[in-house]
Amino acid sequence: MKKVLSLLSLLVLMPSGSMLLAAGSACSSPLIDQAEATRKEAASLGYEWRDTAKLIKSAKVACEKGDQKESDKLASLALLQGQRAVEQAKFMDKNWEMMIPKN
Amino acid sequence: MMKSKILRRLIPAALMVSGVMISGPAQAENYQKLVDADVQEFQAYFHKEFPDVKLADFADGVYALNEDARNQWKEMEEFPPYELDVEAGKALFNKPFANGKSLASCFPDGGAVRGKYPYFDEKRGEVVTLEMAINECRVENGEKAWPWKKGDLAKVSAYMAYISRGQKVDVKVKSKAAYDAYMKGKKFFYAKRGMLNMSCSGCHMEYTGRNLRAEIVSPALGHTTHFPVFRSKWGETGTLHKRYAGCNKNIGAKPFPAQSEEYRNLEFFQTVMSNGLEYNGPASRK
Repeated sequence: MKKVLSLLSLLVLMPSGSMLLAAGSACSSPLIDQAEATRKEAASLGYEWRDTAKLIKSAKVACEKGDQKESDKLASLALLQGQRAVEQAKFMDKNWEMMIPKN
Repeated sequence: MMKSKILRRLIPAALMVSGVMISGPAQAENYQKLVDADVQEFQAYFHKEFPDVKLADFADGVYALNEDARNQWKEMEEFPPYELDVEAGKALFNKPFANGKSLASCFPDGGAVRGKYPYFDEKRGEVVTLEMAINECRVENGEKAWPWKKGDLAKVSAYMAYISRGQKVDVKVKSKAAYDAYMKGKKFFYAKRGMLNMSCSGCHMEYTGRNLRAEIVSPALGHTTHFPVFRSKWGETGTLHKRYAGCNKNIGAKPFPAQSEEYRNLEFFQTVMSNGLEYNGPASRK
């Protein structure tokens, strides 16, 4: 009887757990996680690009809708932007004085 | 052998002592000299690019470079669109807070202090801007801070700029901490950023006077003298940091918050570069 009850409670709890997951922006993928980590790195260097966070948000929305292909496409773009921003930050940190126009 | 060992220990100590001796006013003079050399080089760049434009006229921004644009602007200045904001700013400046004090209680000379900002506050270790000082006065007197980019803060700033017209830009860099803030602002100004990989200097030095779509790019020299500005595009008066954020967005970079350390340091650097010009804000711009 106990086993039946615990099985029943599991059945009741499982869908509510997944619903909770879907209700927040918890939908994620390795690509989204990687894009977010790279965006954060660019931001910490002061060089985050304008649209990166929006792309990640759109990738999460597509993921929640079950459109994994679109989600991956957007997350890849965000990741690329984040990587370029980090490269830009590192390059400028070393070479910004070369950008001073000469008389 | 022994002698050289002693010497090796003594030399750094002697250098440290001499370092201590030249710290203070002499060291401050050194930072100021470094900055003055930058100012000279910066202003010479614009003089070479625009030999017919007088130094003082750079305070008028893009209207110093193009006669047609200047004539249109002068006509607009006959009934300046910021006039009502200056009036509103005056009223807000004198309006009593709940505790009976007002903004007028915080600023000397009736608020004609535009020429004193921005400055590097040695005790706080940071750049203080006029807008920051206005909001700090409000908060210290139990009022809420105003939003940074437009509205009441921009109106009061416009009023204070208006009654300060003619004051000379003369920002000093007196210490290592001030010089560090200046250098951070300088780096921000020259480093390329954003999706378009562009810098402040790329547009406002190298492309100055050329067309960017239908607009002529303004010179960085004099940028900070005439803010806040009433921009036709905004349909209202806005602060310098609102403009910074707009520029950053245009080049595909995520803007920093108004009055962030980044923008305050940038304002500090840019204002130093305009040393010798006159404050002539508020102004109208397209």
